[in-house]
Amino acid sequence: MTEVIIPIGPQHPALKEPVNFRVVADGEKIVRLELDLSYNHRGIEKAAEQRDFIRVLPLLERVCGICSHSHTTAFAKGIEEIMQLEIPPRAQYIRTIIAELERIHSHLLWLGVAGHEIGFNTLFMWTWRDREAVQDTLEEMSGNRVHYGMNEVGGVRCDLTPAQVRAALARLPLLEERVQKYVGMVNEEETMLLRFRGVGKMTKQEALAYGAVGPTARASGVACDARHEDPYLVYAEIPWEVVTDTHGDVYGRTCVRIGEIQESTKIVRYCLEHLPEGNIRVATPKTAPTGECLSRYEAPRGELVHFIRTNGTDKVERIDIRTPTLANWTSVAMCLTGQNIADIPVIVAAIDPCLSCTSRITVIDDREKKKNAITFDELRERSRARWHAEERS
Amino acid sequence: MSVLSEMLVNLLRKPFTILYPTEKVPIPDSFRGRVAITDEKCIGCSKCSLVCPPQAITMVANLREVEFKGKVLVRKKKPQVKVFRCIRCGLCQRHCPTGAIIVVPELSRTGTDREVVVT
Repeated sequence: MTEVIIPIGPQHPALKEPVNFRVVADGEKIVRLELDLSYNHRGIEKAAEQRDFIRVLPLLERVCGICSHSHTTAFAKGIEEIMQLEIPPRAQYIRTIIAELERIHSHLLWLGVAGHEIGFNTLFMWTWRDREAVQDTLEEMSGNRVHYGMNEVGGVRCDLTPAQVRAALARLPLLEERVQKYVGMVNEEETMLLRFRGVGKMTKQEALAYGAVGPTARASGVACDARHEDPYLVYAEIPWEVVTDTHGDVYGRTCVRIGEIQESTKIVRYCLEHLPEGNIRVATPKTAPTGECLSRYEAPRGELVHFIRTNGTDKVERIDIRTPTLANWTSVAMCLTGQNIADIPVIVAAIDPCLSCTSRITVIDDREKKKNAITFDELRERSRARWHAEERS
Repeated sequence: MSVLSEMLVNLLRKPFTILYPTEKVPIPDSFRGRVAITDEKCIGCSKCSLVCPPQAITMVANLREVEFKGKVLVRKKKPQVKVFRCIRCGLCQRHCPTGAIIVVPELSRTGTDREVVVT
């Protein structure tokens, strides 16, 4: 049978965000996947270079709507490392609480989306309803449901009151009970088992070879977790475990995420119960000394990396953000090979893709072995040339 | 089976959604809503306009005597906030030395006029 190319995206009803797939299929089976990323380019990195350390954090928070706290923590952590600041324990605990609540809400959101992709909309409604408990906690603590604005260089913006801590602790038992139900549902529900088991399989060797990160890699038995490998905040001193699974398929990724929700709930409970007293921030200098830092952070979707270079001013000279989705795309292309066309949405959704995070352009010339980023002028020239070519045709 | 039992339980429950506008959405005390300025507290130091990420705050000329830490100062400027440019990050409140500019737990208004300001 001859191969056919099925274009999907950049605007497509099955994809919430713009990405272009060219699926080469032989009948119902996928032969290979060609990816065209960076349809959207927002220029956040360049915009961040023009703002001082106070004004840059709300901007970086808007790199992603789901892992907003991840980006600010990764950046603040890097700058604090360059400035050689010691952050008070209370601030570190508050950062951890928000980070883990964010992980719970991100994974619950993902579980709903995965249910939606397989046509199990009941699960979608239930998980999103239960996610409201987490969202309410975050709103009470920070004042906003999405952009918490808790971080600042040198600590956190606002403190947690005893009433907020009590309210958060009161919501946890219900959440734990609900998550326990989902564990049962994933293991028993035929609708999910049929669509998740054996779909998008990836072995441990493949996960390592394709550089998968986060729950995608952990579902294949690779115990990589930045919180464990390179402990930051208070992860070195609190009891928690890396959740892994050996299935390697979408079912395994679901198990890892649900396991992580349970683990995060325990971390949040521990941190709320053991919240130390003291200051929530330290006095910070306005400028950072010349230096470079690679800040690793375990975002809900996987390892997030911020490369920061400072030049002695109150702004960064260069910031480069490597998001987990970018690292996971190659594994998606590998997972899709040999699968059915109908499984594309669920396999793509299984890495929890976030295209708004992954809006970076880097040109890699394989023949010349060159790698460089496109400047704004070059990008403008290209778009002009394309426009003129289209005009002529 | 767990799905079926969950469905039966849900049948006997009240709707989870808030029936807005007949029911009001509860707003927590720490909610970052619209920006409010207490004019008599402002000493015109411009800190809020310097830290504002979307540059929604501009300082406008305004001569007034204000009391700060037991002393009487003459301020020359006061902040003006463009409501629909504000992202309600709360940095102005965090950096204000007198507590003159705060984000209050009230819903921000909606509108189409970009030039609406709070003074």
